[in-house]
Amino acid sequence: MTNYRIGIDTGGTFTDLVRFNMSTGEISSLKVPSTPSKPLQAFVGALKQSEVPLNNIEGLVHGTTVATNALIQRTGAKVGFICTAGYEDTAYIQRVNRQFLYDLTWDKPTPLFQSRRNCIGVNERVNAKGEIVTKLEDADIDRVIDHVDAGNYESLAICLLFSYLNTTHEKLLANRLRERFPNLPISVSHEIAPIWREYERSSTTIADAFIKPLIQNYVSSLKSGLADAGFIHPWSLMKSNGGLMNADAAALQPIHLAMSGPAGGAVASQRVSALLGLNNVVTIDVGGTSADVGMVLDGQISYTTEYEIEWGIPAAIPLIDIKTVGAGGGSIASVNSGGFLQVGPRSAGAVPGPICYGQGGTNITLTDANLTLGRLNPDYFLGGKLQLDRSLIDAELGRLSKILGMKDLELALAVVEIANENMANAIRMVSIERGHDPRNFALLAFGGAGPLHGSAIARKLGIPKVIIPPYPGGFCALGLLMGDLRVDKVWTQSFRSDRVTPSEVVERFDVIADAAAIELRQQGFEGEPTYEYSINMRYLGQNYEMEVVVPSLRSTNNESAKEQIESAYEAFNRKHIAMYEYSMNEAVIEMISFKVAAIGLIQHPKLATLTDTGTQITQTRSVHFEMLGTVPCTVIRRKSMPVNVSFEGPLIIEEDGSTTLVEPGMKVIRNPYDILILEVLK
Amino acid sequence: MTTRVSSSPDLKVDQVTLTVIDNYLATTCREMGIAMMRTAYSPMFNESLDFSCVLFDKYGRMISQAEFCPSQIGTIKFTVEWMIDELGPDVYKPGDVIIMNDPYRGSGHIPEHTLLKAVFHKGEIVAFVANCAHLAEPGAKAPGGLAGDATDIFQEGLRLPPLWLQREGIPQEDIWKIIFANHRTPKTTYGDLMAMVGSLNVAERRLTSLIEKYGLETYQNATNDLIRIAERRMREEIRQIPDGEYFFEDIIEDDGVLNIPYTVRCKVVVDDDQITCDFTGSSLQAAGPMNGTFAVTASAVYNALMHLTDPTIPRNEGCYRPIHTIAPPGTIVNCEFPAPLVGGNTELSPRITDIIFGALANALPDRVPASQGGTSCCFLFGGAQPGSGDLYSHFHFEGTGWGGRPTKDGNSQIIVINGNCRNTPVEVFETRYPIRVESYRLLEDSGGAGENRGGLGIERIMTMEADSITVSAIFNRMTVDPFGIHGGKPGKNSGIYFRRKGSKDWETFSNAFGTTSPSKFSNITLRRGDQVKIIAPGGGGWGDPMRRSSERVEADLREGFITPEAAEHDYGLKAELDSDGNWNVTPRIGRKDKS
Repeated sequence: MTNYRIGIDTGGTFTDLVRFNMSTGEISSLKVPSTPSKPLQAFVGALKQSEVPLNNIEGLVHGTTVATNALIQRTGAKVGFICTAGYEDTAYIQRVNRQFLYDLTWDKPTPLFQSRRNCIGVNERVNAKGEIVTKLEDADIDRVIDHVDAGNYESLAICLLFSYLNTTHEKLLANRLRERFPNLPISVSHEIAPIWREYERSSTTIADAFIKPLIQNYVSSLKSGLADAGFIHPWSLMKSNGGLMNADAAALQPIHLAMSGPAGGAVASQRVSALLGLNNVVTIDVGGTSADVGMVLDGQISYTTEYEIEWGIPAAIPLIDIKTVGAGGGSIASVNSGGFLQVGPRSAGAVPGPICYGQGGTNITLTDANLTLGRLNPDYFLGGKLQLDRSLIDAELGRLSKILGMKDLELALAVVEIANENMANAIRMVSIERGHDPRNFALLAFGGAGPLHGSAIARKLGIPKVIIPPYPGGFCALGLLMGDLRVDKVWTQSFRSDRVTPSEVVERFDVIADAAAIELRQQGFEGEPTYEYSINMRYLGQNYEMEVVVPSLRSTNNESAKEQIESAYEAFNRKHIAMYEYSMNEAVIEMISFKVAAIGLIQHPKLATLTDTGTQITQTRSVHFEMLGTVPCTVIRRKSMPVNVSFEGPLIIEEDGSTTLVEPGMKVIRNPYDILILEVLK
Repeated sequence: MTTRVSSSPDLKVDQVTLTVIDNYLATTCREMGIAMMRTAYSPMFNESLDFSCVLFDKYGRMISQAEFCPSQIGTIKFTVEWMIDELGPDVYKPGDVIIMNDPYRGSGHIPEHTLLKAVFHKGEIVAFVANCAHLAEPGAKAPGGLAGDATDIFQEGLRLPPLWLQREGIPQEDIWKIIFANHRTPKTTYGDLMAMVGSLNVAERRLTSLIEKYGLETYQNATNDLIRIAERRMREEIRQIPDGEYFFEDIIEDDGVLNIPYTVRCKVVVDDDQITCDFTGSSLQAAGPMNGTFAVTASAVYNALMHLTDPTIPRNEGCYRPIHTIAPPGTIVNCEFPAPLVGGNTELSPRITDIIFGALANALPDRVPASQGGTSCCFLFGGAQPGSGDLYSHFHFEGTGWGGRPTKDGNSQIIVINGNCRNTPVEVFETRYPIRVESYRLLEDSGGAGENRGGLGIERIMTMEADSITVSAIFNRMTVDPFGIHGGKPGKNSGIYFRRKGSKDWETFSNAFGTTSPSKFSNITLRRGDQVKIIAPGGGGWGDPMRRSSERVEADLREGFITPEAAEHDYGLKAELDSDGNWNVTPRIGRKDKS
């Protein structure tokens, strides 16, 4: 019997499904329109179209933007916020800074919950050493219960001061509330985000509570829909850090789904980079409205905990470090108040979309500019499913050109150039800002529009090599099949390098690694977990930590534990130099938190090697370039492109979900894994 | 994200390249800031972000900045000009870093230290990179530097003229030793200065690679063009403001040394495409530290006008050119050596901005808000850590309410307009210092009543948890209200109060300790269990409160932003809580809306 693994990636516009045949290694993908109001419909519809008998599905992984959208569009639950008395306004006060200088029209963001009256203070206090200085009394818990009873809340968030040091009061309160309100979702800060800084921890916990009822409904409706269709196996969701989580577990801490959508792309990027033997890769996923930029560093995905739902509303969860900018195919070109041409962040979205879609769009978008320059094929957009109409663009293009005193083609070039620069700037922010020179990286470009812009972005950044993976349009869905089950645990307790004994560190890791392994088994993993360990460190006196990966520090002897800790200090010093241009090797190092990931490895699809490359189909059309002007340009279909044969740019490679532009001055080969590798001509 | 549009003959670089370079420069400034935040030691840096990173061309003209502290961005222009003038040409070598903090050489006040580095390309200076940051401990008579009763500059900390902190990459140990010997917390100073040096290196590397990529000529033409564009656009903006002379004045209630008020008076003259802010007629310089240097005053003027003009104008030398400041020497807005001035930068600066807003309230009725709370609520403290005995000191501040705006309420609890600092999280604060924060909450009724209400201030109560903690303060608006405009009511005053351990009553520091001013003092010793209460003021109201709709008053009641008493007293609406717990107001009777 042939077994399959299925990845389903639900985005705002399209739902992508990738099907992996476990016997032959064959991969196929399909795209259906998303159905945001009835998510089940597109999900099950895609499954049906994939023609896989449900009994033959061995694994099903889902990536979704439902959490992201609920957070951004604020369509979550009525949350009651329970905090230490005196701190009811934490979510209103925030950090008191402004997003912009010099803008008197700016409004401070409001908390995710709806009213200041939904904040409940409780009399209790833990101090900065983790000692209880005011004990939480039963009478006060009763008072909270009464308040919750009267409040008609759909969800609760609990965040008490210093709970990352001492969880007693939060646990007590959560237990009593869970007893009394067994059906009310409750998010507790030391479970969701055991980090210091009360506002950031509160905000994260509130965000979790805000989307919990919605995600629970979403998961249970998918579950029952799948059950109705006859599928009863466990299935997983992809978390923001690229790990998989059993769907039931995901519903308990939904904030981890905040960046589920783009995470699949990052995971797939890491796997493709490894396949090519590339250690350092910048990735860019360009869709309709935005571009997501990430990094693979020393073969590993880079992570962060600094996610913001909007400016000033943080959700401090571990997530793949992805920077999003408002630059995509639908980004709108406009002239701003200063008479400057601007591209994005406003987008025409899927509806009405670019003017050339002929669906009522009236603004020049990046896609319109690309079509004007001849870079897109009007007859083969989305594999010919959408006919583009070049003639619709002229009037608006002419109007804008006139305002700006440019020729039409110049304007189209400028729109593309500015969009490319915006995307290059996003890459600079994730690379250079973190101490990495992009010239030492390859660029992996995917998403519907990524391959069209990859070589120009690389040129701007001095990146010598561009990778276009197979299925660039459905790459995030492919990545869903490349993740592993993963449970992350953090222990926050500070140790100084001049005072700590190695055995103390080992004990910490033992405790949290065991806890992580237990949760992994609870999610159905039966094999032997692998572990990743890291310590967040800083020089004593600094306030921000850097995460340093350490080898196994469990149940090891004192001697080797000491050596390993010493080497972690050295790694920290090196990393500090790399990022900030200096280190202080004599200074005391403070270890702030200890992290373990327990990982349950599962079988990933392997990209099959190409045997039959078909017959090369070549066309020619006129394409406009800045340096060359309008020139005849060779166009080939990816499917028919011979393997391991070098072509020189300018060249356009078309496929169903994307178009790759090879700029003049670059060459391209298609390797046996169907990966396109573009390099600068020497 | 933007590119210049109409090509004009005086620009040498094409629009797209200009846009790219402008964005690159601003990104560089942001990167400098992130490097500082993540590596610095004091919460002033790493939580509050009280620093700024700015790029200059080889002549010392500002070419780029990012979203940092506006008052520092304004003064650093003068600081860097001064440093380059005083040191002369040809003295810089690659790897040199120069430090300066002298307010009588353009610095905002002594705690703010500026570091400067020349950037070289093929052996020639092509740019300067600089950052300016508030060190938590400058070695003043009071821990934390802001002595509210200083009588001259020498009490305000260690004054550094331009000095080489580093020559050709080698730290100048003599200078470091002098600084360490004079600051109470030398380790923190070291960590913070190292973070600043690291940030300059980041900027140097980024600028060098930009110049390598585009070539020196294009780079220099581009920065010149950007300055020209900014100037032209700023002049165009000013031309939109009706010509005329506009007046406003406000009172600084006392100066910490003498209990007398000082007037700050401004005549704003709009003349075609330029603006002059003339402070002639302001009071003579203060005996205590409420003075501003010319740089502080000019910086506040820039800040006010940047807020009232198009925020997309590139922020460089050019946008400052059409703006002029007249501040007679020897007055509170341009004090003379050796007058004390440490509070000018935190208190006078936002006041000047509000005064210029006030002056232009009728000229730009759709843009100008009422007065913000307008004080930094500077609360300084220091001492020895219980246990280790290590010395610590900290500068604590609060946000205030924004004034009501022409179309909406003011934001609550935002840092004063001259800064863009963040608060220090209580969990960080208590981990670092032996003070417990009992509560930190919005203060109802603190926003000035108005058709558009002022934003709210806060109340914070703290308990001392060491046997001895030395505290100082510089507050304003404790007796002079944050003003409302167009009929709006003032915001609630600021305050700082003391409660002795075991006592029930709050009292002012004047009552408890005999300080001349209740809001400006230094070196008061508090004991374990003593408490301090800080009130940060709300913003003034915009427009007649009687014109505020009953729905908006009900919403304010529901959210607890105002009390039922205020609904009746300020808004003329009697409020009642119904059986469902909702507030209902009865419509105004016997009053007529103005419209």
